[in-house]
Amino acid sequence: MSTFADAIAALVGTPVGSGRPTVAPDPVNQPMIRHWAAAFEDDNPIYTDADFAATTRFGGVVAPPLMLQTWTMATPMITGIGERGGSPVPSDGASPLALFDDAGFVGTLASNSEFEIMRYLALGETVSASTVIESISDEKQTRLGPGYFVTWVTTYVDDTGGVVGVQRFRILKFKPGSTP
Amino acid sequence: MTRADRTATLDWASIAVGDELPTLIIDVTATVIVAGAIATRDFMPVHHDRAYANTQGAPDIFMNILSDTAYCSRFLTDWAGPQAMVRKLAIRLGVPTFPGSTLTYTGQVVGISRSGDEGLIDVELRATNNLGDHVSGTAVVSLPIGDTGA
Repeated sequence: MSTFADAIAALVGTPVGSGRPTVAPDPVNQPMIRHWAAAFEDDNPIYTDADFAATTRFGGVVAPPLMLQTWTMATPMITGIGERGGSPVPSDGASPLALFDDAGFVGTLASNSEFEIMRYLALGETVSASTVIESISDEKQTRLGPGYFVTWVTTYVDDTGGVVGVQRFRILKFKPGSTP
Repeated sequence: MTRADRTATLDWASIAVGDELPTLIIDVTATVIVAGAIATRDFMPVHHDRAYANTQGAPDIFMNILSDTAYCSRFLTDWAGPQAMVRKLAIRLGVPTFPGSTLTYTGQVVGISRSGDEGLIDVELRATNNLGDHVSGTAVVSLPIGDTGA
């Protein structure tokens, strides 16, 4: 095995990021939910109509379930985002994906997203996310160029540590522009 | 089955395997893609900066996966109603979706089961555009049994 293969094999089972959970910068809130619902033209009244939502099984306004990933997305530093390959924040050197970038696999493309939702989040709740790399494929030839499929599992918890959702996410890290 | 209005929820007992979900059509513009990317707090430049997308080998900006899962949940609850809860959603991305294309969501009920006071519905869904299958996946939606909230 080459050094690079050894290095990526060692990533499996390790946390993404600092190893500490990522805490959402803001609690679940109506302005971000309204923005989301407007962007997707989703008029489900449980997201924005407090009076109606109070009459449902949810008991009040809830966040869209598939907004779960949004709460803990990094607040970006816009300056230099392109130079960082689209990474929203400067790398602290600890990102396991930096290994791929350093080897020329700078492209990133999502390929799979699988959610299990335990319950919907109410206004005021703060989400935290912990992510572990589950698997890394062998090098594959894709239509975008050679690359590796990296799969991680994120567990989302509420203020009390209760699990509200689990997400399996797969991305392709690839060398752009190396195919016709 | 279709709902009377946006506050009505389908009766679980009236849903059958083979039922088709109402088709959802999204006319995709650059605005649609950028609005979805920013609403999901995804600032990757390939979803808002065409010149940057070109450097990544893409002819234009393209829809982000958080928008795809968002549209999937809208597609499911537009059909089932506000008492519906999306329990599971698993999607695979195929071809990208660029401005100027049309996304067509279709789906079908493939299983029905009961878990306590929840009625569960298994759905297969797909979103296609001019290039082929953009999204393919499965979902599980739950409805409360005995109280449709209609």
